[in-house]
Amino acid sequence: MTLAFALRTAARALVLLLPLLPAVAQAQGGRTEVNIQHTQQAVLKTDARMGDFRALTGGRTAQETAAKLRQIVGNDLLLSGLFNVGGPGYKPETLPFSWAIEGTVEGPASGDWPLTVNLNLLTWPDRQLVLTKRYRPAEDQVRTTAHHFANEVVRMAVGSEGIALTRVAFSRGQGNRRDIYVVDYDGEGLIRLTANRTLNLCPDWSPDGEKIAFTSYRGGQQGLYALETATGQVRQLIAQDGLNLGADWSPDGRELLISLSRGGDPEIYRITPEGQIIKRLTVSPAIEISPSWAPNGRELVFTSDSSGTPQLYMLDKEGAGKRRLTFEGKYNDSATLSPNGEWVAYATREDVVTQIVVMRPGGEERRVVTDLSWRNSEDPSWAPDGRHLVFASDRSGASKLYVFDVVEGGFRQLTFGNEPDITPAWSH
Amino acid sequence: MRNATTPRLAVVLVLVALALVAFTGCSKKPPVVTETAPVEQPVEVVKPAPKPEPVVPKGPDYANLDPSQYGIEDVFYGYDKYDLDDAAMGVLTTNARILKEAGVTLMVAGHCDERGTIEYNLALGEKRAKSARDYLVSLGVPAGNLRVTSYGESRPFATGHGEADWAQNRRAHFERP
Repeated sequence: MTLAFALRTAARALVLLLPLLPAVAQAQGGRTEVNIQHTQQAVLKTDARMGDFRALTGGRTAQETAAKLRQIVGNDLLLSGLFNVGGPGYKPETLPFSWAIEGTVEGPASGDWPLTVNLNLLTWPDRQLVLTKRYRPAEDQVRTTAHHFANEVVRMAVGSEGIALTRVAFSRGQGNRRDIYVVDYDGEGLIRLTANRTLNLCPDWSPDGEKIAFTSYRGGQQGLYALETATGQVRQLIAQDGLNLGADWSPDGRELLISLSRGGDPEIYRITPEGQIIKRLTVSPAIEISPSWAPNGRELVFTSDSSGTPQLYMLDKEGAGKRRLTFEGKYNDSATLSPNGEWVAYATREDVVTQIVVMRPGGEERRVVTDLSWRNSEDPSWAPDGRHLVFASDRSGASKLYVFDVVEGGFRQLTFGNEPDITPAWSH
Repeated sequence: MRNATTPRLAVVLVLVALALVAFTGCSKKPPVVTETAPVEQPVEVVKPAPKPEPVVPKGPDYANLDPSQYGIEDVFYGYDKYDLDDAAMGVLTTNARILKEAGVTLMVAGHCDERGTIEYNLALGEKRAKSARDYLVSLGVPAGNLRVTSYGESRPFATGHGEADWAQNRRAHFERP
C-alpha cells in the first residue's frame, strides 16, 4: 500500500514534467527517453509489462478473450502516450520501477458468456498489487472491458481519465452523399449513423456523448440536426434561411454555438439544444464562422474575415471583449482550444496547402505540425486528454483521419478506405 | 366579383380545350395526309374534358426543365473571391431577361474549389450565390423567385487538382429548387 502510494506520487511527479517536453522530444527525433535540461534526469514514461493473461476455465472462448484483452489493454496504454509497453520478459532499464498488468478469464458453468474477468495492476518486479478489477463481459463487451481497465491504469498513473473509451464522429462520402460515422478512438468499431442520401457534415458531440449535432441538407437546404447515439433518432434543431453551420456544444451541455446567415452574412449565435436563439454574438458585414467554446465555458474562439482574410478571434459569451488571436498567415480557420486550455489548434492555408497549427492561446510556441508531405490537413479536434488531436488529411489521396500526439509529435492513421473522411470530432 | 368572372372564364377555357382536342384529333386522324406518321395512337375524342389544365403551355415547361435547357448559365469567380467580373455580369444580364419572362423559382447554389477549409468554403459559396442573386434582383428579377444555398467544396464539377479544374468549381450554379 505504501509502496503503491509512493509509486503513484512518483508517477504523478514525472507527469508534471510533461509540458516541458515537446521541444526536447522533437530535437531528439521522437525518442521516448528524454533529458530534462536543468536536472539531466532521464525519464518520462512509465514502463508497463504486459504479463500473463490466462484462461482458468472455459475453453477456447476464454482463451481467445484473454489474448484479446491483453492485446487491447496493451494497445490502449501505448496509445495513451504515457507508457513504454512491453511483453513478458521485458527488462525495464531506464526506470527505478515499473508496472505489470495481468489478467485471468473464467468461463461460465454452461455456455460461453458471460465470462468472468479479473484484471490486475502490479508493481514489477516485486509484484505488489496496486489495482484489481472484476468484470463480467458479454460477447460484445470485451473491448469496452479492456478500455475501461486501461483507463483505470491511466488514472493511477496521472490522476485523470484516459481516452480509451472515447470515439470520433466524422463525415464520410463524396458528391451528393456524405454520412455521419463514428469510430472508436483506436480505429475499431466503425458504424454509420445517417443514411439520407444527402450531405451530412460537421458533427459535434454533446458532453455526455448521448447526442451528435450535425449540419445536414436533408431538409432540402442546410439545417442543424441532432441524433441520439443510442437510438439513431434524428431531430431538427434549427434550419434558418442560409448557413446553419459549425455547431459546438458548450462544456455544460446547456447550449450550442452556431453560425447562422439568416439571409445575411454569417454571424455567431448561441442557441439552446432545442434550437431557440439565445443571443447573437457578432455583428459585421464579414464572414463569421467556426465558433468553438473555451473549456471554461465563458469564452469562445471563432473565425472572421473582417480584416480582409480569415483570422481567429476570441470573444466572451456575451459578445464582448473581442481580441484577435492570429497575425501570422493569410488564412486561419477551424480553431479549437484543448480541454485543459493549454493549446489552441487550427488550420492555416499557405498558398494552396492547408496545414495544422498548434500554439498557446496567447500565440506563443506556434508550430505547424504537418509538413508539406501532409498535403491538405484540416479540422483539428482535441481528445479529452488535451494531448491528442484528430484531423483530416488527403496525404494518401482521399481525405482520411489521423491522430497527432502534441507531446511526442507522432502521428497515426485512424480511418482507412477510399471514400473521403472529413470534419472529425472527438467525443468528450 | 369572383362569382361573375369565374364561370365565364371556365366556359372560355372549356371551349378552348374542346377546340384543341378537336384540332389535335383532326390532325392525327388517319392516313390521308400522312408524311411519316410513325406511331398511331387510337384517338380519344371521347373525353368531355371538363378540366382545362394542360391547355396553356406556350413557352417551355420551366418547372420541369433544368435551367441550362432554357438558356440559364452559371457564373464563375476568382480565387477566394465572390465579386462579379464583367463576364459574370454579362451572363447574369441574360439570365435576368430569361428569368423575368419565365417567372420560375430557382435555387442559386454557391460552389468553391477544394483549397481552404470546409466551413469557410461553405460561407464563401454562400457569398458567391448571394452576389449572383443580388445582381439578378437589381436587374428586376423578383427576390422571391431566387433561393440561395451553398455546397462549398462538397460537390465539385471537375475533380482534378489544377487551376483549370478549380476554376470550374468556383461558381454560382442555377438549379431547380
